[in-house]
Amino acid sequence: MALRISLKPALPLIPLLPGLSLLGVLGVLLRDGHGGGISVLQQFAAGAVQPSIDPIVLGSLLKGLQITLVIAVMSWGISSVLGVGLGLLSSSTFWEIQAGVRWPAVILRRWLAPLRAVHELIWGLLLLQVFGLNGWVAICAIAIPFTVLMARVIADQVDCHVSPAIPVLKGAGATPWAVMLTGLVPPLAEPISDHIGHRLDCAVRSALILGVFGLGGLGTDLSLSLRSLQFQELWSGLWMLAIAMVVLDRLLRTLRSWSRMLILPVAMASPWVALGWGTQLDLQLAWPVAEWSMVVGNLIDGSQGFNAALEISWPGVIRATVWITLIAGCVATGLPPLLLLVWPSQASLHLQGVVWGALRLIPAPLTALLLLMLAKPSLSLAGLALGLHHGGVMGRVLIDDIRSTGLGSAQTMKACGAPNRVSWLYGPLADVSRAYLTYATYRLDVILRDTAIIGMVGGAGLGWQLMEALSSFHWWLVLWIVLISAVLTLLGESLGERLQGSWNSRAMAL
Amino acid sequence: MSARERRAVLATGLIAGLALTASVSSCGAPQNDAKQAVLQIGAIPDQNPEKLNRLYGTLTTELSEKLDVPVRYAPVSNYAAAVSAFRTGSLDLVWFGGLTGVQARLQTPGARVLAQRDIDAEFTSVFIANGASGLRPFTSADQLVELKGRRLAFGSESSTSGRLMPQFFMGENGVKPEDMAGGGPGFSGSHDATVAVVQSGAYEVGALNEQVWRSNVADGRVDPGKVSVIWRTPPYVDYHWVVRPGLDDRFGDGFTDKLQSALLDLSADTENGATILELFGAERFIPAKDEDYVMIETVGRQLGKIR
Amino acid sequence: MTALLELHQACLGQRLQPITLTLRADQRVVLLGASGAGKTTLLKLCNGALSPDAGSVHWCGRPHQQLSRRQRRQIGTLWQDLRLVEELSVIQNINSGALGRHGLLWAIRNLLGPLDPNTCLELMHQVKLEADLLEQPVRELSGGQRQRVALGRLLHQRPELVLADEPLSALDPSLAEDVLNTLLLLPGCLISLHRPDLIHRFDRVLGLRGGALVIDAAPNTIHRDQLEWLYASA
Repeated sequence: MALRISLKPALPLIPLLPGLSLLGVLGVLLRDGHGGGISVLQQFAAGAVQPSIDPIVLGSLLKGLQITLVIAVMSWGISSVLGVGLGLLSSSTFWEIQAGVRWPAVILRRWLAPLRAVHELIWGLLLLQVFGLNGWVAICAIAIPFTVLMARVIADQVDCHVSPAIPVLKGAGATPWAVMLTGLVPPLAEPISDHIGHRLDCAVRSALILGVFGLGGLGTDLSLSLRSLQFQELWSGLWMLAIAMVVLDRLLRTLRSWSRMLILPVAMASPWVALGWGTQLDLQLAWPVAEWSMVVGNLIDGSQGFNAALEISWPGVIRATVWITLIAGCVATGLPPLLLLVWPSQASLHLQGVVWGALRLIPAPLTALLLLMLAKPSLSLAGLALGLHHGGVMGRVLIDDIRSTGLGSAQTMKACGAPNRVSWLYGPLADVSRAYLTYATYRLDVILRDTAIIGMVGGAGLGWQLMEALSSFHWWLVLWIVLISAVLTLLGESLGERLQGSWNSRAMAL
Repeated sequence: MSARERRAVLATGLIAGLALTASVSSCGAPQNDAKQAVLQIGAIPDQNPEKLNRLYGTLTTELSEKLDVPVRYAPVSNYAAAVSAFRTGSLDLVWFGGLTGVQARLQTPGARVLAQRDIDAEFTSVFIANGASGLRPFTSADQLVELKGRRLAFGSESSTSGRLMPQFFMGENGVKPEDMAGGGPGFSGSHDATVAVVQSGAYEVGALNEQVWRSNVADGRVDPGKVSVIWRTPPYVDYHWVVRPGLDDRFGDGFTDKLQSALLDLSADTENGATILELFGAERFIPAKDEDYVMIETVGRQLGKIR
Repeated sequence: MTALLELHQACLGQRLQPITLTLRADQRVVLLGASGAGKTTLLKLCNGALSPDAGSVHWCGRPHQQLSRRQRRQIGTLWQDLRLVEELSVIQNINSGALGRHGLLWAIRNLLGPLDPNTCLELMHQVKLEADLLEQPVRELSGGQRQRVALGRLLHQRPELVLADEPLSALDPSLAEDVLNTLLLLPGCLISLHRPDLIHRFDRVLGLRGGALVIDAAPNTIHRDQLEWLYASA
């Protein structure tokens, strides 16, 4: 019998394959390495042990932290509630149960996609142009993309958890709403609650990034300290942030241990609590007045429009952006499973939890600066900086997944004599590989959008061009760049969906 | 009902109660900025936060005592965000750099320059180079062509002294941004970071504000064996205070003039004045006019930073 | 040397009362008992998945925690829930039985593409799996097919003692007969069953009731009443 033998990596191996890119990145680091920045790294490390305890610094950081938390909690609550609603509306299953057709879901999804394709930072800077410095600008900047992203995840979840009971219930003559309550809600409640919980962590980081770009809060202090290389002050802020994030995480875990559904009422109530808290702070929460004249006035004068598009050599810029995204995506996806495979044990899970936490904590621009202290600037370095930050998120996802599926499968493999590493590869890593890869494709979108915040390493990519255009108030160019980024994001997304599709059918052929 | 369920219900109740209380209290709380006119001041971010907080903490106290109006300092961490905040009326009086000040005035008809520091009238940038680059101090501007093919770091993209003027002088001598290694210059984000990336060797050359360079040298943060000045730019005007129009309507006739004199009157003789001037790195503030910045506007337009 | 599994006064909480037992690797043993009598618990003690609260379990004179990889792979288990690696294909799952004899690189090569297909085809033939299923993902197989993949994996491990937890429960009669025949060809086994009618095909019968070992005898010495009592409600 003829055997067709081809190279066809199995699913559990796919999360590890991007890790191969680390070899390339390592090569670049060795090639471009210079030891000149060791003293700065030492100062940075020393700052961690000896953060500033100046009362003025601490007072300002504490105020900043509260503002960041208020913005994060508010936008998280709003986006969770709206996201669940929109997610339901943009799922095919919902429309099929309600009306027996699918097209409204498809149309709504296509309409929402562009909103999601714009980074919260860019939303922030655009809204700032129209509404000025105002708490709502930051809140909306996070809430808009988060709502739509949440809607996408929820619609996907709804459509992949279609209960076989639904046609039966429909056949039994139940009303559409009753069908949804019995057939849809129970299997969905838990994954959705988990996802909502996870988004709070993301919202805090987004609120921080907005602060880095001028919308107030702890991010502002962190970015000012970073720019003046005041590592002691920087660490005071980072430690404060770390404590806040650990406390939030514990709170969420406690809530979950009481009941996994509890997150829903918490999300609904949180904007009101945050609003009450916000009034006690130095945060402008009066409803802002729009000031369209400047932006619109500039755009009405259409003569510049086409010329603006010619100012950038798009192929080069797009190539740089895609390259950075790819490297960052590979590093972020490949690093956590690789590390787990290098040192597979319970203790390593705990230690990695800390490492990933630290990588998430350190903003990407800071990672970039620290890497620059070791190597010359290059696209790979920019990708690595971004990849390490997002690796923190992926690492957390991997560890949480493994914890929730348990280590039983590793013991099974070990019992039949498999070595420790192999037991983990065929056990827990194989168990979570599908979910992990699905999450990685979502991350790829986020990474693509995040290239906006890494201009420091060589001033390359669309993100950097956008910052340059915004700082020149060159609205036509801003419009073009946002458009192109949105198109790229959507392309990346459909590529991700295809990858997901091929993983779901069978192992991907190379 | 199990203990766990009971706890869940209890928690839900508590959350609902807390939310209700919070929203009621927020409706009741006075919106402090709604009616009373507050003078909002801000600054582009070019200092460390500890210094900014001390500096503007003292300045708000000083101005509010002298002018008898409430003054509030809003920190902004992005140059372009400061310009937008000024245009939309979120900030009334802002300490801008040369370029950002011109951008702000062009976008806000009626805004005017109030004052500058004594050192701002003749401000300079320096080009610094890593020892390993092999670059020696330039004796004349046309040697800037030696920078072609080098890795060069600017500071922030909107910085006058860390980007605009250095780029202008490079252009005057035939060096375009595309001539740099890697297809363009890098942007470290700040003057201090420029020193760090050049000193480490990540970049071979950097351009920054001479005042910041001097203070880095004075603080011992520069290793003279690794990095040194290779060229100083000719002088140009830089930082200045810009004020929004219409303050007289909000705070009373002649308010803008009073504000200007309050700034110009700051002197090292008073305790507050001494702190403020020391943190600004100046002896005193001097009057400045819109016309002083025509050159910056021309350069800004030439380099595409002003549209 | 004939490998030995020795349990000495091994017990586990409420589930299993102290049991002393010696299994030789050339004996075919059947384990009977009603649901909940502790059959699965006993098997898990035997393969080291559970550790006893008190007493000891030794394989070749050493406790499970101290076994070398070589010794661990001498005990093979056919789990009731099969424990296949769901994300992998038939050949990859069958090959995973041999992981105990190979290192990490071999494990990775197995994930990269079909490895050693001829051996696998032979094993598949032995367990009566169609050859065209070779690269099929196991998650797409039927219950009976999955059972046979697990059996193929077990054979590939080449254990000296097989522990099987109700291996026939989900199979049709002819398939059950095949699986049983395959298991009985192995050097030694301990198989838990709900089929008192099959005890004559074994060398030794163990009976569990309420977590206690109440029967340990040769099949021809066991009376029908004893078996009925084993399954009667307490």
